[in-house]
Amino acid sequence: MLERFCDWLVRTDLSQLFSSSDWFVPGVQTIHILAISVVVTLLAMLNFRLLRITSSGPTLHSLAIGYIPLVWISLLVLFATGTLLTITEPARELLNNVFRVKMLLVAILIALTATLRLTLRRDPAYWTVSARRRFLGRALALTILILCVGIVAAGRFIAYA
Amino acid sequence: MTGLEIARALEHTPLAVAIAKSNWLFPLLETLHVLAFTVVVGSVAMLDVRLLGLGNMRRSITELTRSVLPWTWSAFVVAAICGAMLFISKASTYYVNIPFRIKFACLVLAAANMLIFHWGARGTLAWDIGPPPVRARIAGAISLALWIAIVSSGRWIGFTT
Repeated sequence: MLERFCDWLVRTDLSQLFSSSDWFVPGVQTIHILAISVVVTLLAMLNFRLLRITSSGPTLHSLAIGYIPLVWISLLVLFATGTLLTITEPARELLNNVFRVKMLLVAILIALTATLRLTLRRDPAYWTVSARRRFLGRALALTILILCVGIVAAGRFIAYA
Repeated sequence: MTGLEIARALEHTPLAVAIAKSNWLFPLLETLHVLAFTVVVGSVAMLDVRLLGLGNMRRSITELTRSVLPWTWSAFVVAAICGAMLFISKASTYYVNIPFRIKFACLVLAAANMLIFHWGARGTLAWDIGPPPVRARIAGAISLALWIAIVSSGRWIGFTT
């Protein structure tokens, strides 16, 4: 079923147009990497703060207000550029298990980042009010950081799978 | 000894041979290189956006620099070490590769731009919390353009080797 969809997609005019260009894939991948840079850097800074590895500068709440909207915008750019790359080479992505793992990790990352934002919106001190919350906050931050590493690694390993 | 001969000699060092022969070492180093590079680019972009007067305006240049630059330098060290190890594994191929040379030239120019700006801005704190002057905006724009060129040429290497 998915193989048939890939066969159909790769024969569409759009896919043929994209793949006939020498610069299209590297160009779109460049934008994709720049958007990943924004997501990884902002989430690293935010979650290092939640882990209490960094402590100077703005509060966790004000960092979240400033950074998380930019993370959402960058994720939209990643979705758009990722879609273009998938249209260009559908089998390379959709039939690849590493790509599926990457998408699963991205879905979990979005859910956890949304959880972080919602809890801080409800209460700016949410992750500091009790020892249990502090522990959970650290676990959440560590999970988000591991997911970022996993997503970048999976993205790189798609080429080798 | 010419540059190409040095590159060939590097390629035959035990470490280079080990990286080239291993099935997993090259992708692993590449993943670490990309991961570290995303943090370098993301953190530099945060400062550049502030210098351009397009964002982070509530934070002073001094405070933003103090919180962002440790990220930039730590990640840069990791990216440089991994990049050097990737380079020696195919040194003669990369040495003659045009996108690789462009990437390296842009790195040197980005470093020079940063040094010139910091040297010129010594003790100039009048605009630390206000809108940046034209020279700061120019430095931010040049830096951002160079880092986009570095990512782009870095991506291009994979399509030309």
